Amino acid sequence: MMRGVEYLKLSLLRRVSFAMSACVLVGPACVLAACLASSPSAVARDLAYGEYLASECVTCHQVSGASKGVPSIIGWPEDQFVAALSSYKRKERDNQIMQAIAARLSDDEMKALAAFFASFGPKSTTKE
Amino acid sequence: MQLDRRRFLRGSGAFAGASAFSAPFVLGQGSPKVVVIGGGAAGATVAKYLAKDGKGAIDVTLVEPLKQYQTCFLSNPYLGDLRQYETLLHTYDKLASQYGIKVVHQMASSIDRDKRLVKLADGSTLSYDRLVAAPGIDLKYSSVPGYSEAAAEQMPHGWKPGAQTKLLKARLDAVPDGGLIVMLAPPNPFRCPPGPYERVSMMARTLKATGRTKCKIIILDPKDKFSKQGVFQQGWEKYYPGMIEWLTPTIYTEISSVDPATNTVVTGFETYKAALVNVIPAQSAHKIMLDAGLNNETGYCPIDAFTMKSKMDGNVHVIGDACIPGDMPKSAFAANSQAKVAAMSIRADLIGAQAFPARFNNICWSMLETDDCIKVGGRYEPTAEKISEVEGFVSQPDDTAAIRKQNEQELLGWYNGITADMFA
Repeated sequence: MMRGVEYLKLSLLRRVSFAMSACVLVGPACVLAACLASSPSAVARDLAYGEYLASECVTCHQVSGASKGVPSIIGWPEDQFVAALSSYKRKERDNQIMQAIAARLSDDEMKALAAFFASFGPKSTTKE
Repeated sequence: MQLDRRRFLRGSGAFAGASAFSAPFVLGQGSPKVVVIGGGAAGATVAKYLAKDGKGAIDVTLVEPLKQYQTCFLSNPYLGDLRQYETLLHTYDKLASQYGIKVVHQMASSIDRDKRLVKLADGSTLSYDRLVAAPGIDLKYSSVPGYSEAAAEQMPHGWKPGAQTKLLKARLDAVPDGGLIVMLAPPNPFRCPPGPYERVSMMARTLKATGRTKCKIIILDPKDKFSKQGVFQQGWEKYYPGMIEWLTPTIYTEISSVDPATNTVVTGFETYKAALVNVIPAQSAHKIMLDAGLNNETGYCPIDAFTMKSKMDGNVHVIGDACIPGDMPKSAFAANSQAKVAAMSIRADLIGAQAFPARFNNICWSMLETDDCIKVGGRYEPTAEKISEVEGFVSQPDDTAAIRKQNEQELLGWYNGITADMFA
């Protein structure tokens, strides 16, 4: 799990630093706003939240990438991961379990999960 | 920045101190101690998540008498010759070696809530700052007249794992063609609501596969309905026509007595002389919980749904089959889900970790026959009253064969996933 957390931390920090550097161009008020929105404690909270959310997934989806019976969800491109969860949420993709799981995930939560699981090696080639 | 003793003793030169920031425990007190009673789906999971996410800041001890754990889940497919017994066995080695959990292979004999001590069978004690009680259930043998723990050698319950599982399989294999099997199903609430009905499906599968199609299985059930009833009964008609009969008290009135010496079951309606009697008695939280006064009048332990904390004692969390899980069933999946909520709550209380809204899930798969698996599941959220179901689903009679086969694949994948989540 450590690897996933470290990756997520980096990924979130990158986003914060990008937001801040963009804001510097338009004035101090915006820098302040960005800092408030993405303070270190908020980043830490996102990290911990991502890990907590992921604990729900790993009852079935193994972080080892083993995919017998249940598809591997590690190492996916993050946009594809979010797109898959979103289509379950809209009930366009068929699986009662995943539809129920995705129903209560917000966009931010999906992104946090995508970043977390993206860190665990390459995408499985096993068919879903 | 506060240097805790564990970190200090470890002599880490590269100390960066992230986890020490918020720890309320100061130098000299040591790490907060959590004792977990029971190493099943609830206990093993909570121990692992406390140790893993606590990153060494919490001293975790797991008390479990067995060195080798047999899962109850997938023991029915073992009865159905779809699974080898050895594949149900797991050890605690990695919890000790990879996560630093102290695994104590003893039976916990009592809880002293005032002194915050767990007494072990050898007379020694473990002190705790927080206790997680996950001891599972006890069987109320006396709920069936004539039945007893000793009688279970003749009329196996097979509702606690290990020797009983193997005994039930051996007795099933010895039933002659034309022989009668009688199952006494338990009253609510009990461990694994679809379990008895998956079990008869798997018993019938073995009988059919070995040419014993003249056998009959009669279920004497004190309940007037059961989990996934429609799809179970449809499956019995499809795969095992004439072999399984489900009777409620409107037919058999009552169980007057069982006689283990003659394998006889006497009801108000009829006397059955059987080749195999499988008695699944009424159940309660494990005796250690009742002795500690952690239960209510139901025989199970009320909890706060936001934290899994006992309503009787703020220093104790109760998870798994011993607790009152609201709308969740008593299942391994539910226990594993509750364990993660409890671990988060305990880390927040003891080391100042962040707490997030509790989320619960459950899915119970049941095998009808090879390639045909049914499921029921849902997601749940805490309320002031209980763990409440938000959304649920259940297999339908008109499911395609492909969906049923996919369910089986999910079951096998889940088994590997949850056992890795518990033990690896």
